[in-house]
Amino acid sequence: MRIRGGQDLAAGSLFAAVGLAALWIGADYPRGTAQRPGTGVLPLILAWCLIGTGALLGLKAFLTDGAGLTRWAWRPVIMITLAAIAFALLVDRLGLVIAMLVSMTLAALGTPETRWREYTLFAAFMVVLGVGMFIYGLRMPIPMLPKELPGALSWK
Amino acid sequence: MEINALFTNLALGFSVALTLQNLFWCLVGAVIGTAIGVLPGVGPVATMALLLPATYFLPPEGALIMLAGIYYGAQYGGSTTAILVNLPGEASSVVTTLDGYQMARQGRAGPALAIAALGSFFAGTVATVAIAIAAPPLTKLAQQFAPADYFSLMTLGLVFAVVLARGSVLKAFGMIFLGMLLGLVGTDVNTGNTRFTFDISDLFDGIGFVPLVMGVFGIAEIMSNLTDPQRRDLVSSKVSGLMPTREDIKRSIAPILRGTTLGGLLGILPGGGAVLASFSAYTVEKRLSKTPEKFGTGMIEGVAAPESANNAAAQTSFIPMLTLGIPSNAVMAMMIGGMMIHGIIPGPQVMEQKPGLFWGMIASMWLGNMMLVILNLPLIGIWVRMLLVPYRLLAVAILFFCCIGVYSLNNSANEVLIIALFGVVGYLLMKLDCEPAPLLMGFLLGPMMEVYMRRAMLLSRGDPWVFLERPLSLTFLAIAALLMLFVILPTVRKARETAFQE
Repeated sequence: MRIRGGQDLAAGSLFAAVGLAALWIGADYPRGTAQRPGTGVLPLILAWCLIGTGALLGLKAFLTDGAGLTRWAWRPVIMITLAAIAFALLVDRLGLVIAMLVSMTLAALGTPETRWREYTLFAAFMVVLGVGMFIYGLRMPIPMLPKELPGALSWK
Repeated sequence: MEINALFTNLALGFSVALTLQNLFWCLVGAVIGTAIGVLPGVGPVATMALLLPATYFLPPEGALIMLAGIYYGAQYGGSTTAILVNLPGEASSVVTTLDGYQMARQGRAGPALAIAALGSFFAGTVATVAIAIAAPPLTKLAQQFAPADYFSLMTLGLVFAVVLARGSVLKAFGMIFLGMLLGLVGTDVNTGNTRFTFDISDLFDGIGFVPLVMGVFGIAEIMSNLTDPQRRDLVSSKVSGLMPTREDIKRSIAPILRGTTLGGLLGILPGGGAVLASFSAYTVEKRLSKTPEKFGTGMIEGVAAPESANNAAAQTSFIPMLTLGIPSNAVMAMMIGGMMIHGIIPGPQVMEQKPGLFWGMIASMWLGNMMLVILNLPLIGIWVRMLLVPYRLLAVAILFFCCIGVYSLNNSANEVLIIALFGVVGYLLMKLDCEPAPLLMGFLLGPMMEVYMRRAMLLSRGDPWVFLERPLSLTFLAIAALLMLFVILPTVRKARETAFQE
């Protein structure tokens, strides 16, 4: 047997794996009665549906020709993910300005096309826009800058 | 009687939509819609998700009018990029690039843009009337639905979404199941038990709709767009001579009529929407034409038909959402999200309980379409200039707006972590060629279906035959089964053929 559709096989494995995990985690959810179906009924049904779909996709990967897997673009994926995580971790602790600068710079590192002089100007514009819109305009309760540096750096 | 009711309803609608405030939100929606429609790589789904948190600050009428404006506005904007840059600004204007860009290269960008806008306006007008006529009887029908009927109707909706989805049927099914499972995360409202929460308190209320959508549509799209940067070759930054010739108009009338009809019908079907409509309309025109070989060389019919069709479909896809409370595509899922933020439960009761909102939204669509013709034609130069903003900067801005948008929902930084997670998940699914729209429909419909299933089982005292005994429910399930058969048969046959060849 030869794998003829790498993409189908990967998608099938993903679905089946999620289905199996749901089956495992949901094993002790109460099933209830036919008249009052419990918490565990729909998860059970869905888990088997996912496993079935995954199996069929897996089978298809061996029987018919399909698209193969393509390369992951690691750089944008990692940098954009890091950018979002950085924003989440920094915004409450160090304020909007620093959170924006760090996360936007990480995002800019996600593509080799970034021109740094242009980016610096744009980032400054975005910070002014962000602070103006969300802190002064919508009055969101976010600190603009760290209140006191030592306290903010202690990572409560 | 019927006609009178129609006029009273539309009058009520216009009285709501014509208030200064609502006109303003309609304009805002149309402008944002055109802008993101023009920009390739920024779609209406992600934009609406971005703005959902902001709509919390608006009155419900204004919020929904604006969100609707973004969707049909994007249909207008998408054609501008398709014609001038040979890039689809939106997925629904892919076919417009074929003849529209050729017309632009021949110096006829003006007529192409004008016909696209006028065709869209005509389609929008017809679709608005169609919604106003179709909504009341459908709502009346929906009010007779028992829980079992609702369950079966949603099943049918999901099957339709699979059948009409591009690409693999199996993958679409997998995505629906996956979405439904994600929808179950959190506390079960009936029993109070938690499911799949891993004891993380942020998950007790379930995965938020907005973080999920922004991750899968917003963040994942940035990742994939940064992977292969597009080149944008403007055919010319100046567009002169907007007026189509008499010949242009004569050739366009029939395609516009056909595109509007076809698009309007396809838009109602779940999973259909604007993309399918524009493709089908182009194919039909090519087939009906006496000179099919000339398509792709700058035929105005190839612009008129798909552009009318995608706008008609964009609008009629509101029908199932407004009357039944069922999202027929990802954008309608956003509209439902917008309603829920304001505490409005989508369904047939909306028309009776909130007639101002209901008819106001419908009336605003026509006003919005008129604004769009005005916005698009004379102001075309401004939209074209927007294309000069490179994606490397847009990406940074979109990322920030996603983060701050999700944060502002509950002032919770943890929800921003959820978009990071779903961004990677969305990218993975994109790489596996799994369309995210069915996932979203499953996510919204899964929990609803569970509620209706439980009610039906309770009413029938645990007898599962209830789903086949009620005529409406049986009809829906029968159609669903037939559709499934149609999709599966050729696939099975082909799979067997290839297997036998070995």
